[in-house]
Amino acid sequence: MTATIALLGQPNSGKSTVFNALTGLRQHVGNWPGKTVEKKEGTFSHDGKEYAVADLPGSYSLTANSDEEEITRDFISSGKADVVCILADSSQLERSLFMMADYAGINVPSFLVLNMADVAEDQGKKIDAKALEAKLGIPVIQLSATDNKKYEAFFDAMNRAINNKSLINVSGLETELEKIEGYSTLKSIIPDGSIDNYSSMWLSAKAIENDKLVMESLNKYLSSDSLKKLDSIRQNTGGAVSTGNSKFAWIDELLDGVLQEKNDQVKLGKLDRMYLSPVWGKPAVILTILFGLIGSFIPALPFMGLGQAIGGLKTPVAEALFSAGVNEILITIICNVVLQSFSYILQMLGFVFGVVLVFGLLEEVGVMARISYVFDNSMAKLGLQGKSVMPFLISFGCTMGGAAGTRVIDNWGQKVLTIALAWAVPCGAAWSVIPMLASLFFGPGAVLVIVAILVTMVLHMWITAKIFGRKLVKTGERYGMIMELPPYHKPKWGALFRYVLGRTKDTFFRVSKVVLLVCFLFWALSYSFVPGSDPILFRIGKAIEPVTRVFGMGWQLFMAFIASSVGKEGALGVISALFNDGSFYTAFSDAMSGAGVAADLNEVLLSNVTKPEALAFIFAITFNMPCVVALAATYQETASAKWTARIAAYYTAGALLLSMIVYHIGLLIW
Amino acid sequence: MSLVEAKANGEVRVSKISGDARFQSRITSIGITPGCTLKVIRNDRNRPVLVYSRNTMIALNRKECSSIDVEVLS
Repeated sequence: MTATIALLGQPNSGKSTVFNALTGLRQHVGNWPGKTVEKKEGTFSHDGKEYAVADLPGSYSLTANSDEEEITRDFISSGKADVVCILADSSQLERSLFMMADYAGINVPSFLVLNMADVAEDQGKKIDAKALEAKLGIPVIQLSATDNKKYEAFFDAMNRAINNKSLINVSGLETELEKIEGYSTLKSIIPDGSIDNYSSMWLSAKAIENDKLVMESLNKYLSSDSLKKLDSIRQNTGGAVSTGNSKFAWIDELLDGVLQEKNDQVKLGKLDRMYLSPVWGKPAVILTILFGLIGSFIPALPFMGLGQAIGGLKTPVAEALFSAGVNEILITIICNVVLQSFSYILQMLGFVFGVVLVFGLLEEVGVMARISYVFDNSMAKLGLQGKSVMPFLISFGCTMGGAAGTRVIDNWGQKVLTIALAWAVPCGAAWSVIPMLASLFFGPGAVLVIVAILVTMVLHMWITAKIFGRKLVKTGERYGMIMELPPYHKPKWGALFRYVLGRTKDTFFRVSKVVLLVCFLFWALSYSFVPGSDPILFRIGKAIEPVTRVFGMGWQLFMAFIASSVGKEGALGVISALFNDGSFYTAFSDAMSGAGVAADLNEVLLSNVTKPEALAFIFAITFNMPCVVALAATYQETASAKWTARIAAYYTAGALLLSMIVYHIGLLIW
Repeated sequence: MSLVEAKANGEVRVSKISGDARFQSRITSIGITPGCTLKVIRNDRNRPVLVYSRNTMIALNRKECSSIDVEVLS
């Protein structure tokens, strides 16, 4: 690796567009160790040299207010970055240069990229990058991140910054800071080079802002006399508001003679008058998401066709292998585990591709910020961002799509919490089973059952938000929205497609592992290795039947419940096979691989299952783990095996508990 | 008067920012500082307050807006 580049910029500075354009398919998403923040890394080569890129978490400043800023600070101060690329939005240069002003004084080489030059030009703004470079002392370039050919200037600035070890000229900022009462005395207490790569100016400004990490370090470094002095000076400085004023005053001075702009008049466009309307905002957002969901199916269709084709290969492959004299166990592994898994995975991947593309597009053009604004108030009650409404709505169609949709949520804790709540939303497969079972047992009362399920869903989400929310989104970190609503942008198709493909590839590998493992496990437990004898799973089911009876489930229903956590559609197949004695030792794998439901299912059910049992079963499968691919998608998006397992265990236990409650209420009624 | 009480379509100037250190740091880093002019775009019940400042539209949580004192310009 020649050098490591860290990307630093405020939200909407086009940071991820640059990251995607640089790395394309060569990116990896994980978690920062010990933190609930997404880690995006990648590599690229230029002129035969390899470079590593770290996309630092988005934040508006470098003050240690949350995990995001702490990670950024740690990454830079520990010397992991050889050069920092600071990004600013040309169309609102004054405001977005704040990150650069907050960075000034850190002794790590940097260069400045004025992104979205095309947008600024459209607005009639003229920026003299060379003049700004002369004032700042670091390479400054303008960039329209629209296509990759224009990145030569980027690489040139990067190499100049690395070779010259260019640092920001801070004398102008220092002059402004000196106007703060007590700043100079404060600076004399804190010597240069005392902590990491920070200059004494930078440390003094952060001390005035009462920055948590700087204060901790100073507490260790300074004598108690100096600390007392520091504390008494700090009281009268005016805190972050004063230093903020100094930084903006410096930015104004920098932009004098650099930026020419017309006096802009703000007027809400048609789209914003609709989205931001107190009356039409919510319906407009919901319609947008629903259209997005439908739109997601279009790019998904080829994948889904391919997935189904692979599923269709099972019978011919099995026959071919059988006639070739291959061992029967091997045949079932190949067909019922491997082919079945890849049939699931490909169909799912198509949907992930569609959801990531469509909702990534909505985010890029700026619609997602409006969704956040409209639902901020309602979602804040659950500890979530307004954007979380989108995965919830997608989950009515498919939980895995909902999980993939959470990628637009920039806070990891809120992302995991959103997925955890989205699992409670009954998906399309559940809706294909619930009304059928409900009307079979309760006739017109089925409507009541569906209402009860929707009410339970809301309660479930509320309770789950209470239980998981405390850990994932700490109350101390629940701050109200301070967010920019960027102007609508044209999408950058090239970078978007590269990103979506990278994401889909990443999903494919991670998800395949999980799905293959789970499918193999279920197959092994439900396969009769000795012909005529019961599979292990059935023996366990029968043995613990006295326990499952408490939940209102005999062993057959309990097996169907277990099957429903692999796939909801499979549950009915398992029921029809298990209550029809005789061939039940292959029932499970047949049902799981989508074998038809027996024609006499209705009679079988009515003669074997009581009303309370049926009602309990409906609730149990609705609120059980959605399916194995949803589990895998959750693992993919959270990048945490621990939280994925935790959510899965919680839902399995929760479904059994619900089943028990419903069963006993049912016993009172009938 | 605090920003929550400001009328939509009016222009105000920020006179004082109070609240805890974290809020102060967050609000200044998005570009709202004492002395700067805000155009109030929307101020609807149960929605964040929408202001326009330094070339961008910013949504601010209602509760936190009460820590921003403003004087009316128009």
